[in-house]
Amino acid sequence: MSKKSRSKLWFLVHSWLALPIWFFVLIVCVTGTLAVVSQEIVWLANPDIRASKPSDDAELLSYDQVIAAIKRDEPQVIVRSLSRPDESHFALSVNLSYPDGRSLEVYANPYTGAIQGISPSFDFQQFTRALHGWWLVPFTNGFSWGWYLVSLLGLPLLASLVTGLVVYKRFWKGFFKPTLRFNHGARIFWGDFHRLSGIWSIWFIAVISITGTWFLIQAILFDNQISISSEPVVPVMSREKVPMSSPGVPAPMIPLDDAISIATQRIPGLEASFVSLPSNAYSHLRIGGRGWYPLMFQTAEINPYDGEVAAAHLLSDRSALEFVTESMRPLHTGDFGGLWIKLIWAFFGLVLSMMVLSGLLIWSKRTALATLNAFKRTTRAPQEQAQIPAMQAQTQEGNP
Amino acid sequence: MSKAITVQPPSPLRAFWLKWRFHINILLLLVPLGFMPKYFADAALFRGDSGLGEREIGEVQVGPWSVKLAEFRNEGPRPDPAGPMKAFNAALCATCGEQVKATYLRIGKPRSLRAAGVIFFGTPYRMGALLPIPERTPVDAELWITMEGWDGAMHQASIPLSQASPATVAWLNKRGVKP
Repeated sequence: MSKKSRSKLWFLVHSWLALPIWFFVLIVCVTGTLAVVSQEIVWLANPDIRASKPSDDAELLSYDQVIAAIKRDEPQVIVRSLSRPDESHFALSVNLSYPDGRSLEVYANPYTGAIQGISPSFDFQQFTRALHGWWLVPFTNGFSWGWYLVSLLGLPLLASLVTGLVVYKRFWKGFFKPTLRFNHGARIFWGDFHRLSGIWSIWFIAVISITGTWFLIQAILFDNQISISSEPVVPVMSREKVPMSSPGVPAPMIPLDDAISIATQRIPGLEASFVSLPSNAYSHLRIGGRGWYPLMFQTAEINPYDGEVAAAHLLSDRSALEFVTESMRPLHTGDFGGLWIKLIWAFFGLVLSMMVLSGLLIWSKRTALATLNAFKRTTRAPQEQAQIPAMQAQTQEGNP
Repeated sequence: MSKAITVQPPSPLRAFWLKWRFHINILLLLVPLGFMPKYFADAALFRGDSGLGEREIGEVQVGPWSVKLAEFRNEGPRPDPAGPMKAFNAALCATCGEQVKATYLRIGKPRSLRAAGVIFFGTPYRMGALLPIPERTPVDAELWITMEGWDGAMHQASIPLSQASPATVAWLNKRGVKP
């Protein structure tokens, strides 16, 4: 095969990867971009989720103090879990169980413990994630087919990156001589835009496509009952470990802050940025947070009656493979280093969305042009059949 | 273009196909649109906005206490690597929150407290248990509820499975009772 026709072929592959499904890819890119900053969007829209400081010298409350404040305001509710968001401008997220059977997330002020608001029944964050992640297709038996549909896109995305770089001859020159021609017509502009944003997004497209493909592998592994996890399966506490008491008097548990300090003393480096309270008399208290490696969490299960650490899942327990696989999700979502990383992810998510659009525009403008040319030719020589009109102009792309 | 068409007129159908073939995927948007009512119904179910579960079974007296039971979903057991599983939700009576140490669910009468079945997780206001449906469950099986007090006291009650979950009985009938 000649060099020219090989490049033609690569070009055709590059075009066909996204073209027939361009709208689906576009919506997945746009919803993914929104999902990255969904928490921030809610922060802008809903004052309840902001952590306003009552005074300049106000100090953060401990978990026990927050629970006490909630109990004071709403004596009937039961606190199920608390979580301190990574960014200090967010209120605490607390899961409460109400006497009427509702189980809701509420936003509590980290300085006063006051419940600032109840999460609305339309949860923007969850909705954008569900739309982006599984196209809202319900999970009934293992992973939903929507999850497969979306995560399968990781493969054409990766192939688009590779074929794009093959087709774009000497693409590294684009870094030193950025070209974006505004006054040569739409076709030239979108072509320049597609190439320019493409080379600056190489790393991002690689990250998104590889982690996206991991989501596909994860679903396949799970649905075939293959586990690579080193996380211990912690059974409920044995009967002997739960103290007996008098009728109607629950066995006393140690204060939450004490349990946390016992666990963090025994396990150096363990953070308690989230806490799940025992969900029955025989279940453990669970605490966890990020370790020195910000992409993964460490957790510990604690006996709530005496503070004994029953089980822990630490960074040092993880296999090398798990360091790779567990990093995939935060790398995909950009949720591992605060606001700036999220904003970078959202920016490149927007660029990637624009690449889908510009790719479509290039194709449609070139196809229209090529079709016109082909028809002109047929008018001149009707016996000569223009076989694949769209391909005629495509070889131009590699040599702009 | 008009000149070209006079030379080689494509059929209207073909022209339509050529024009729109790459935009058919817009129809994929019908998938999330179609699932949206289900998504919001599920969100309300998980929050408890639409009650304890999809189908309420009613209040069951267990010794001095009582418990309100519901099928989490009004459907037969779901497949699971550990065998078919059926999810139930429960809420303790208003005065027994402090009294009851644990609540269990089992198909068939438990021989002792240690074999009381699966334990409920959650709060007295709303808790859930995932009940395994054994291979040889007869259609006239009984669902046993065991409650344990903080002093070790044990109380039991049972209701017919047909009352607890008609969908599970229908599922058993369809599957055929294993000998």
